Amino acid sequence: MAEVDHRRQSGGHRHSGNFNHKRKRGREDDDFEHGHPRHRQRHQEPPPGTRIRRSLLEIAEDPLRLPHEVAQHVAKLTADNYEDEYVRDTFSTVALKLVVEQPFKIPYVAGVVLYANEHNADIAKDVVAKAGVHLQEQIDAGNWRDLKLMLRFFACLSQLYETDGILPILDELFNRAVDLQTASPEDTVGPELVKIILFTIPYLLAFGGDSSLRDAVSELLAKTDIVASAPNPLEPLVDPYPEVGSDEEKPMACASTISLLQRQLTDEAANGWPLKCIPRVYDPSLRTTAASGESAAVNGNGSTEPAKHMFPSINIPTPINPGPNPLFPEIYFSLYADQEIQSVPPTTSIEACLIRDVILDTINILDFNRNATARFLNEIDCFWAPDTFVKRATAFDKLRDASPDKPTWKPEDVTIDAIFSQIFQLPMPEHRLVYYHSLITESCKISPGAIAPSLGRAIRFLFRNVDFMDMELAYRFMDWFAHHLSNFEFRWKWAEWIPELGLSDLHPKKAFIIGILEKEIQLSFAKRVRDTLPTEYHALVPQSKENEVPNYKYNSDVTPYAEAGREVLHLLKKKAPETDIQAALNAVHEQARGHGVTDPLVPSTDIYMTAILSIGSKSLSHVLSTIDRCKERLLAVGSQSEMARRQIISSVVEFWAEHPGTAVNIVDKLLNYTIVTPMSVIQWALQDHIDRGRALANSQIYELISITMFKVTNRVRQVVRERNNMALPFEQRQQIDEALPRERQGMRDLFAAIEDAVAGIAAGAQDEMIERYDNGSSEENAIKTWGQRWARVWRRKAAVEEAVVGESAIGALEAAPTPEESAPMVEPEIDDMDQVA
Amino acid sequence: MRNTVERLDKPSTYAMSKYKKRRRGPNDDGTGTNRPPSPDLEEKLSSATTLYVGNLSFYTTEEQIHALFSKCGEIKRLVMGLDRFTKTPCGFCFVEYYTHADALDCLKYVGGTKLDERIIRCDLDEGFAEGRQYGRGKSGGQVRDEYREEYDPGRGGYGKKFKEGDAQGDGEFYSDLR
Repeated sequence: MAEVDHRRQSGGHRHSGNFNHKRKRGREDDDFEHGHPRHRQRHQEPPPGTRIRRSLLEIAEDPLRLPHEVAQHVAKLTADNYEDEYVRDTFSTVALKLVVEQPFKIPYVAGVVLYANEHNADIAKDVVAKAGVHLQEQIDAGNWRDLKLMLRFFACLSQLYETDGILPILDELFNRAVDLQTASPEDTVGPELVKIILFTIPYLLAFGGDSSLRDAVSELLAKTDIVASAPNPLEPLVDPYPEVGSDEEKPMACASTISLLQRQLTDEAANGWPLKCIPRVYDPSLRTTAASGESAAVNGNGSTEPAKHMFPSINIPTPINPGPNPLFPEIYFSLYADQEIQSVPPTTSIEACLIRDVILDTINILDFNRNATARFLNEIDCFWAPDTFVKRATAFDKLRDASPDKPTWKPEDVTIDAIFSQIFQLPMPEHRLVYYHSLITESCKISPGAIAPSLGRAIRFLFRNVDFMDMELAYRFMDWFAHHLSNFEFRWKWAEWIPELGLSDLHPKKAFIIGILEKEIQLSFAKRVRDTLPTEYHALVPQSKENEVPNYKYNSDVTPYAEAGREVLHLLKKKAPETDIQAALNAVHEQARGHGVTDPLVPSTDIYMTAILSIGSKSLSHVLSTIDRCKERLLAVGSQSEMARRQIISSVVEFWAEHPGTAVNIVDKLLNYTIVTPMSVIQWALQDHIDRGRALANSQIYELISITMFKVTNRVRQVVRERNNMALPFEQRQQIDEALPRERQGMRDLFAAIEDAVAGIAAGAQDEMIERYDNGSSEENAIKTWGQRWARVWRRKAAVEEAVVGESAIGALEAAPTPEESAPMVEPEIDDMDQVA
Repeated sequence: MRNTVERLDKPSTYAMSKYKKRRRGPNDDGTGTNRPPSPDLEEKLSSATTLYVGNLSFYTTEEQIHALFSKCGEIKRLVMGLDRFTKTPCGFCFVEYYTHADALDCLKYVGGTKLDERIIRCDLDEGFAEGRQYGRGKSGGQVRDEYREEYDPGRGGYGKKFKEGDAQGDGEFYSDLR
């Protein structure tokens, strides 16, 4: 980069002295948004390299310019200056970077290369050679997305090659997929390879297309069917709308992307491959005689055809590198598809998958600039063939009146649909959920009037079907919605959900509303939230939630051990010696024994912990520093009595009953101190306080279990990462390998404890439930449903962890590499996004 | 060429310039302006786990900050910026994560969004040190609140309008450059 910048500047004009302010420049060097050299002399055109780079980067973005004209212009400019080393370097570097970072533009970049080839055969030759090296790297590393994008670029350049082009690569990839599938029916790499093949085919035919190619593709399609249409055994795990105790139809089809794609391609083949949405940027008929003359000269054979090039030789290894991350089946999630009005492509049309694929790649590649990503999403209509979409910001109701030959797909719906598909991707999307939140926020900021109504329809769809949604996803919906509203003055048409307020708190919709309000309060404060709500909701945000500092229960003489409670608080406040505190607690033990309490440590721990919480009630920092001061005694309590340890959790949750989010935070920190253990949290929540199953409807309980399990699973993953870290001495890795089974077993025990508790509730077999309910009461049914929802979530999470850290997933410990093999070790990139609560 | 669009997970020029100002000292004749940032700062920031967070309301609580910032990873430590006389929040804080990657995620996904209905500003920070939690304005708060001419109910109303901030300190270089 450094030399490139230098070149650009010196190529432009000579700077004199320190005219160019280095500090300002440094920041913008890597960034093409502000590609102008800042202090260029006026009226001087930037050098060609800079112009080429800018034009390439901005290609297709300007809706007022015809794409093929822009492409021709850049191609000509490049050809005219191709003897300039900087131009040569810039052109291929920028072109290839665009391919893997802004896939919307692949057909356009390919178009430029094709036009440039008419003028100068070296340009395409250089690009193809460089791209070949890059393609090989992606295959070797198992970087599936980059491989897909590189193949697409090659497909768009099909007219360039002397020989077969990419078809043999697709065949070869298919053979690997078959090998993998034969070896294991649960394999997910094979389907990934087939998906790449299927996503490449449309581009190949849009830009290659003679009849022999079509025949070859048909043959390939016939073969891929067996992999693409076979349901993967892991699919039910990632179903966003599993039918939970109901016969209702699913809110959406929830087919796998790969099976949809196979069907869509088969249909498209039957219709002669119209592939309407793909922009055909290169038009050979526009070739100027002058241009073909130049090219022919290079060709040397006197023909007027542009030069042809060797397809780079690509090797697909056996076995293929499965890639850095475990893969799971992908469900095509759409809030708007297949409804009465087609505001997005129906799942039967190839456009549904093609457009979604490019949007998702853009979103997931460009997570480092959500503003730029939101801008691209706002402009998606620029990147597809004309008339793929209706005009931006067309009202939904207007779609009804559209004439049948006109498009009805709303760009806003298509993009919002894609973003939601990530928020609701199981087991986890590529990036943190908050990224997708922020993307929706930015999209709303760019065009509020166009996005808000789409969002409204999405929210209504999700709310209407929240009962049938996977519980983890329902929680994500809640978390997103509260966070989103906190960015937009908490404005929502709450009035329309007033009827749901009459439902039981155990109803998923009511539980959802309660959960949102709690999350809103956590991001804001009770009074503010109440002020945004109709009065019907006010009972859910009671006055008591405005009390920022809870009462110390021992101030009331009605509380047992009130006097002792006040004394311990006093002693702790004045930082009295431990012996004094022990004496006060001993007195409590004495008193408790007198009352016949079996474990006197329980009431004394309640006093001690509640006093700590009261002293620390001003803020999280306060309580943490108090806990830190008292940690020795708290640790000792836990090791003496499990019930006293769980009492610590009870005290926290009771003290912060009006602010359950704070209670969850404090328990989280207590876990870090090992004052409470993961197992004690699970047993506290799912046994002691299960409240005959009702606790499962409480989103804070879910959150508590989630953060606890995240800590545990994250730790086991870290251990596995260290075990596989070739940079460490082999002996150390051996030791880690020996410690791993214990860590993993600890995790499995916790999953098993959750399973035990919730499966009993799902079956209605939990003791208190049997005592309490007549068979078939509506409350019992509601609770059973919660049990089923919990069971499904935690079974999935357990399966996902097994796929990452289980014995068969990690294999035997790999020996230390021999010195010559040991290339500089690169730390494996930390990528645990799939397990965050 | 690293990326085709700007990255949001870089330290701002403020974070860099702050360092230079400090390094330059009062007797600098200005010849050092073109000096690139010292490698040790870049190194610190390239593994930084702490963020400076600015433009908070004085009334925003630790719990609210926690609720938002924990969306990018577990928070190791949260230090509220305080008025050095009254010891009350004065509109900034330091958030420390366990990993550098979490801090970068926060820059990418949370910086520039709203907390307590204000757009907050995040910047990579070399790490909290005792003393930096206090505002360095004459009034005890942040300098930006002394020069501010518009009314901001979340930050104590009108600026205190002291003629000049004294010693330039932490929190200031960030805050008064918005």
